[in-house]
Amino acid sequence: MSKNKKWYTLDLGLNKKKNTTGSCSCGNISENCTSAKQELSADEFYKAAVNASIGEERHKDGFDQVFDVKMDRRNAFKKLTASLLIGAGAVSTSCSIITGDDTKEKAQINWEEQFKGNYKLMTDEEKQGTIDRLMRSYELQTGKNISMTAENAVANVLFGYAFNISKCQGYMNCVSACVEENNQDRNSQMQYIRIHEMKDGEGFKFDNADDNYYHEVPAEGHFYMGTQCFHCDNPPCVDVCPVQATWKEEDGLVVIDYDWCVGCRYCMAACPYDGRRFNWSKPEVPENEVNKNQHYLGNRMRKKGVMEKCTFCVQRSRKGKNPACVEACPTGARIFGNLLDPNSTIRWVLENKKVFRLKEDLGTEPKFWYFMD
Amino acid sequence: MKNKEITYHLLILLLLILNSCKEKNKYHTITDKIAAESKPYHGELSSDELLADIPLIKITEGKHTFLIPERKGQIQSFACIECHSKPVSQMKGLEKQKAHWNIKMSHANTDVMNCASCHNGKDMNTLHTLTRQPVDFNLSYKLCAQCHSDQFEDWKGGAHGKKVAGWTAPRASMTCVNCHNPHNPSFDKRWPVQFNTQKAVERNETLDH
Amino acid sequence: MGVFKVFKSLVIDSLDTITKGSKKYHIWMGSLTLVMLLGMYCYTLQLDQGLSVTGMSDRVSWGLYISNFTFLVGVAAAAVMLVMPTYVLKDIDFKQAVLIGEGLAVAALIMCLAFVVADMGGPSVLWHMIPGIGVFNFPNSMLTWDVIVLNGYLFINISIPLYILFRHYQGKEAKKKVYVPGAVLSVFWAVGIHLVTAFLYQGLQARPFWNNALLGPRFLASAFAAGPALIILVLAVIRSYTAFKIEDKTIKKIALIVTVAAQINLIMLVSELFKEFYAPTHHSESAYYLFFGLHGKNALLPWIWTAIPLNILATIILTFGVLRNNLKILYFCCFILFVAIWIEKGFGLIVPGFIPGPYGKIVEYLPTGIEVGVTVGIWALGAFVFTILAKTAIGIELGLLRYRNK
Repeated sequence: MSKNKKWYTLDLGLNKKKNTTGSCSCGNISENCTSAKQELSADEFYKAAVNASIGEERHKDGFDQVFDVKMDRRNAFKKLTASLLIGAGAVSTSCSIITGDDTKEKAQINWEEQFKGNYKLMTDEEKQGTIDRLMRSYELQTGKNISMTAENAVANVLFGYAFNISKCQGYMNCVSACVEENNQDRNSQMQYIRIHEMKDGEGFKFDNADDNYYHEVPAEGHFYMGTQCFHCDNPPCVDVCPVQATWKEEDGLVVIDYDWCVGCRYCMAACPYDGRRFNWSKPEVPENEVNKNQHYLGNRMRKKGVMEKCTFCVQRSRKGKNPACVEACPTGARIFGNLLDPNSTIRWVLENKKVFRLKEDLGTEPKFWYFMD
Repeated sequence: MKNKEITYHLLILLLLILNSCKEKNKYHTITDKIAAESKPYHGELSSDELLADIPLIKITEGKHTFLIPERKGQIQSFACIECHSKPVSQMKGLEKQKAHWNIKMSHANTDVMNCASCHNGKDMNTLHTLTRQPVDFNLSYKLCAQCHSDQFEDWKGGAHGKKVAGWTAPRASMTCVNCHNPHNPSFDKRWPVQFNTQKAVERNETLDH
Repeated sequence: MGVFKVFKSLVIDSLDTITKGSKKYHIWMGSLTLVMLLGMYCYTLQLDQGLSVTGMSDRVSWGLYISNFTFLVGVAAAAVMLVMPTYVLKDIDFKQAVLIGEGLAVAALIMCLAFVVADMGGPSVLWHMIPGIGVFNFPNSMLTWDVIVLNGYLFINISIPLYILFRHYQGKEAKKKVYVPGAVLSVFWAVGIHLVTAFLYQGLQARPFWNNALLGPRFLASAFAAGPALIILVLAVIRSYTAFKIEDKTIKKIALIVTVAAQINLIMLVSELFKEFYAPTHHSESAYYLFFGLHGKNALLPWIWTAIPLNILATIILTFGVLRNNLKILYFCCFILFVAIWIEKGFGLIVPGFIPGPYGKIVEYLPTGIEVGVTVGIWALGAFVFTILAKTAIGIELGLLRYRNK
């Protein structure tokens, strides 16, 4: 992979004015928009786009600073052709004289979001740029603010999880807490966690277990076992992804760049643990139920046609908190922590309890252990 | 001449295939990795901020030292001696005898345990052990540990019970009475908090031709 | 410069040829266009509402599209069965058939790519897969291998016939030195595309139904039965509707290939069934579901129990030379074999791989109307592309299309 950035900016003229503060805050941009000079005809727009992509002697301000461009002419043209279809929409909105600044800014954001690079390969500045745009975009759409972060993996941390089968009573508080925390689609009732109700004396017979019970729990003669993404250390889903839209972070979280995913669902076929979910239609969350503390790799709003999955609540765990399921569990059956820290409780569990993992024979090395009292 | 060319191409292909073996993990298993990279965490993340508003006390049991929520401040009618000015036996028959009418004991059977098993009749502001050693209300776990020694071990290690805030140090664990009512310690049966109607539909569909 | 002039003239001439024809030809092309438009309408619905309009779910996450894709890769690979003897073994019999075969491969590959795009959740970001612009997870992901081999195969199968036709168009002989290395390469390549496509499934430890060593070889055997079977049918149609001469001998030789491949395929099927049912383990549940149904869910039974008898019947009939050499019976056998393998390699392979799910849950799958619409549309597209290619090729081969230097 070349170290050059693999995307380029579209300059609609919004950034032409020298931005003295050099910040890429959105307020400045909309201020710039008010200048009357910035209306472009379709031809001018095309030229501007090509110029921007070829990027010789351009002023670097605003977005440009964030999205520094190093791309040769051929690549730029390739990209232009590849993007013609989608571009057409943006062109028509952004070049129209009657459209307002907001629409224009929206078009600019959409354009840059459409052609940004893979999050995995972004520098910290670029990560900041994309989350700024996403926050602004949300504001433009709904008039409400969200806070989105892009914390990277912390050094000397490897997240792990333990689940106490004897303690789980099947109340499913974890399931609803997860849905609320992670802004999962309410229409299709997507859930990352499944609680399997198993009969005593039958062992782990998943096919006879019920994972959608609705009766008083714990039911007589049954025990409960939760599954979710196990954040394998050797994840088969990551290997199969054709575009590296999913990968394992340094702290062991297996994450997805929702904007880079092409929706081929190969990872879903490769996961032996039913850990992945697909947005078959546009995910809907009522505005007042949206969790506004978001992380780029975690619970930010998804699009239709992309994969998603449990991230051990990256927006919480990278701030030192426990995932929502751990916090919601009324029985203390869920234990989360840093596997590398010998003083952590998860390490005590691994060293002192009889632990096991599911389908260990597949060599996936899940970081999710089960144990009993 | 032609054969040479074909061999050359095949060789290139072979090299390509050999080169494309999956990246090998550095460690064979996750346990190897943990063992090799294990190191006490003293990073920037800590729970201090998350725990700032919660009154906690530090305890040390065996080799474990951690925080538990302070209890006395949470008990509604503490201090007890404000009412219990005399020993319980002398208070029987007085007007206010029905103060604890709603407490139903359901903890072991009455031959084994009664109020006096834990509550110190001589000093109602404290509890006492089986050997009548006084125990502070904040340290009530000591009483539970007398019988539930397995759970106590697990709790100390962190396998039993919930944590107060995050996964980072300092560790703060809930104490026994934060989850269990000492007078009725087992959990009640109840309905699950949610039901997935979509899943039910999906499962029950039989596709007929 | 001269080359461009000839090429321009070729394009103009071929446009001329494909827009002219008998009434039947116009009806054929018109109805294909209609079906394609219908498919496109269905696809716009899918684009608008997402893949929720299909029968797929989190449980069965690949369906009719990927089934057809898998099957068509086999059809495309089968072109090699004609290329090999013609170019490499210098068997003159196949010469006329080989252009048709490669045309079929091109059409099949275009359909493959269309099916893959139809299956994508985000077709607008497919550029992420273009090496250089996007991020290509090569060599880890088998899907990237598949993208490479399919496009490479498409390139080979376009360029070889194009070169030959181009020379013939100018009234010259095609130079062996130029196209034979390409033909040799395509022989290996054809095996490659099919093995790689099989590895796509075979490499998933999560799906025991696919994760068996026989999957790749069985792919090849069934492809080399279904592909040439289709070629025989197409040749039969071309023979009766155009002046293009195809000898009985050619068809009978291809029939021999179909027979041998079908026999090998049957042996492998027996081996697979033996392994699944002699000592059934937890991993045999998918096969059990496919053949007998599981917990009262049995959506695939009618399909597979149509496919298996048809497969066996066709193989038995083809095995007897007397019957095989009767063209009417041969066409019938080829047709039922094609249908049988389409079911077995498509539906019968992809869907049970997901059933039961990782935790034994069973959610059944049947395609919706929209999904069927898109699928039929793509098949129409394939037929359309093939008709155009074949008509031009036949025109040139018959000498109707010739470059006239002014």
